[in-house]
Amino acid sequence: MSTVATEPGGPAVPKGRSSRFGADPLLGARLRVPPVPTTFVRRPRLAERLTHGVREHVLVLVNGPAGAGKTLLTSDWARAFAAPDRPAWLTVEVEDNAPEFFWAVLRQALGQAGALAQETATARRADPAEQPAERLAAELAACRRPVVIVLDEFERMTNPEIVEGLHLLLRRADGKLRLVLVSRNEPLLPLHRYRAAGEIAEIRAADLAFSTEEASELLRLHDLSLSPEGVGALTERTQGWAAGLRLFALAAAGAPDCERYLKEFEAGHSTIADFLLAEVLDAQPSEARDLLLRTSVLERIHPALANALTGGGDAERILDDLARANAFVTPVNGSWYRQHPLFAQILRVQLRARCPGLQQKLHLTAARWLHQAGLLDDALRHAIAAGEWRTAAEWFVGDLAVEQYFSRAGIGVSAALLEGMPTGVRGPSAELIRAARALAAADLPAGTAHLERAATTCAATAGDDAPLALSAAFLRLVAARLNGSTVAAEDAAEAVERLRRRLPADRWNDHPLLAVRLLTDLAAARLWAGNLASARATLLAALARADGTDPRDRYEPLALLALVELLTGATGRAETRARQAVTEVAHTRGDSGDRPAVAYLVLAQVAMERGDLAAARRSAQHTAGPGAGAGAESGRDPVQAVITAVVRSRLALRHGDPWQALSALDAAEHPGAAEDPSPWARGLTALAASEALVMAGDTRAAVEVLSHPEAGGADHAVAMARAHLAAGARGPRSGPCPTSCRVRPRSPPVPCW
Amino acid sequence: MRYEIRVAGTMSEAMLEEGFPELESFVIADQTVLAGRIVDEAHLYGLLTRFQHLGLRITELRQLPD
Repeated sequence: MSTVATEPGGPAVPKGRSSRFGADPLLGARLRVPPVPTTFVRRPRLAERLTHGVREHVLVLVNGPAGAGKTLLTSDWARAFAAPDRPAWLTVEVEDNAPEFFWAVLRQALGQAGALAQETATARRADPAEQPAERLAAELAACRRPVVIVLDEFERMTNPEIVEGLHLLLRRADGKLRLVLVSRNEPLLPLHRYRAAGEIAEIRAADLAFSTEEASELLRLHDLSLSPEGVGALTERTQGWAAGLRLFALAAAGAPDCERYLKEFEAGHSTIADFLLAEVLDAQPSEARDLLLRTSVLERIHPALANALTGGGDAERILDDLARANAFVTPVNGSWYRQHPLFAQILRVQLRARCPGLQQKLHLTAARWLHQAGLLDDALRHAIAAGEWRTAAEWFVGDLAVEQYFSRAGIGVSAALLEGMPTGVRGPSAELIRAARALAAADLPAGTAHLERAATTCAATAGDDAPLALSAAFLRLVAARLNGSTVAAEDAAEAVERLRRRLPADRWNDHPLLAVRLLTDLAAARLWAGNLASARATLLAALARADGTDPRDRYEPLALLALVELLTGATGRAETRARQAVTEVAHTRGDSGDRPAVAYLVLAQVAMERGDLAAARRSAQHTAGPGAGAGAESGRDPVQAVITAVVRSRLALRHGDPWQALSALDAAEHPGAAEDPSPWARGLTALAASEALVMAGDTRAAVEVLSHPEAGGADHAVAMARAHLAAGARGPRSGPCPTSCRVRPRSPPVPCW
Repeated sequence: MRYEIRVAGTMSEAMLEEGFPELESFVIADQTVLAGRIVDEAHLYGLLTRFQHLGLRITELRQLPD
């Protein structure tokens, strides 16, 4: 993951790519306890409360306004512990509001702190319906001693579902988790209950405020001396606010007379940070001032990026000096720096006031630099901030990131950033993104319309853009699978194969998910055409590429492979594959999409063949997820629609209800988005229908339904023989059995597949 | 709906014009008074967050008659 690309004319920067949570080269910084500057004032009264807090309580809150010194206090406290006892750390980011990111990154943070050693052992027993919080709680409860984790900048966490999950986690972890929430706001947890139960320790704004002694210590560390009265006055004026004290120290250091500067400051009524920051800024050498203002638009600062924004060449030295003086920036990871969030906000206001119109240009410059450095997510963020949606869309497609819409692990970060793309944005890339969004939601008409629009705009601009053409071909394949057109699927797959040869090898290899989805969709199309052997080979190829993708993305090829094995009569292999698929889903909780059903359908059929009707019914129940009616559930993929109908029909037949069995097959008449069932699908449904009709006593119809030219094979011959046999034994009936007929057959059910 | 927000201390011109361009303001006795039309709740909470992000202390918040 940490390959290195060299920025032309600049130092090496970490090479990132379209990242899910795992691939972010800067994730490491979020999991590390932040550094503490030399000017930090250690305050034992607060550190002791933290230590005591995590010992005696499950929840510790550190709440205070921006710049109150929350992070420094907590990180200095955490740093006092050596390796096995050191608290796990996670600096929350806005992306973490997506539950799939948050739970994965929380797990990573705990894992990095050594808290989840036997993870794989417990994961096997997990129930697929279990919440990530419940699973994590079970693992933590099994730990020998309590684990402490700090979630910093928790005010960014606004998703109540996740906060509820954390509440659940604390409840279920059997006291083995100690949660320290560092935040500007009170979290949405039911704090009154924690308070009533004595399960919470709180460090709040009043506690965080510096006492006169502490303020005096801070000034001493900044080589400033003030009279005791002076320190008292300063503490009162700033109300012990750490950021105010720190800014005062920096501002006073530049003033000729510290006491006089204090008098002026004390007498004024200006808002503290606003005023002092401008003072400190103006006292800086012009290059440093310029750098601070311009880099305020960045989440994190790389010296080479800072140079790109200032047009200068010595950002590295300036940043180092500023960090050393504890002025605004702190190093985070490798050569990256970060501005203090409070100061960055104020600096941005100053930037807008001092250099009107510059902010947008800076965003665009930063976007271009980050894109070159391969940090797609950050590049998109800045391009969007600059209002350059079209460029953002082009970069997204150019990076083959359309795959992000098709992972079972959830939508990717870049894709999520583009959710807000205005409808007015034109161009083939924007249309492809809309097509991907529609197709991922199984909206075939909209998907096809956007694909067509992309094709026409693409032809108009006559570009020779391999990633764009490849993405379009990939999406055509997705569409072809949905509407069951095998020829179009084969065409699209060939186009992708041709186009990927025109890409650098590592670009293609960086997107294993794309290959997995491609081969899976192609296999589904081949299956739909009845080419079981080639579908099987394609699925095996998909699985071979699936290493390194999210386990959930292995689910579908495994499930389809199980189906292919079942259809070729290899019941044992089918069951193995289906169970594997179900385990992959259990590994991390799947969404409520429709495709998990296939593995359970296979298991239901296998159980039926063994005569275990109870097990078959249980497995079949999994195919009807919560809120997913039969129609909605089979609405997407034609293969699944047909298989669902056939298995339900057979299950009804085993329960002696041929009419229900026949009506279950209705769903296969217009499977998913496909207009008609394929000959292969007709063959399958005809067999099921014939059996049901035999049981219903309508033997003539049972023979007739098998007489379509597409039906064939050994199963067909057996069914035909059975139908004729029944007809001979009972004599032909006149006319088909009406569906409203409710007469039960007297003969016992005939088991068959 | 119109709101009035009072902040402790005198805010700088730069902060008022670039930080809160949608509000009018004046200064009285150690306080900056900002007032203006708030579009909806999202705007209101966004605005409160902006004050918080910029290290400003709100001392009073009230809705004004239209």
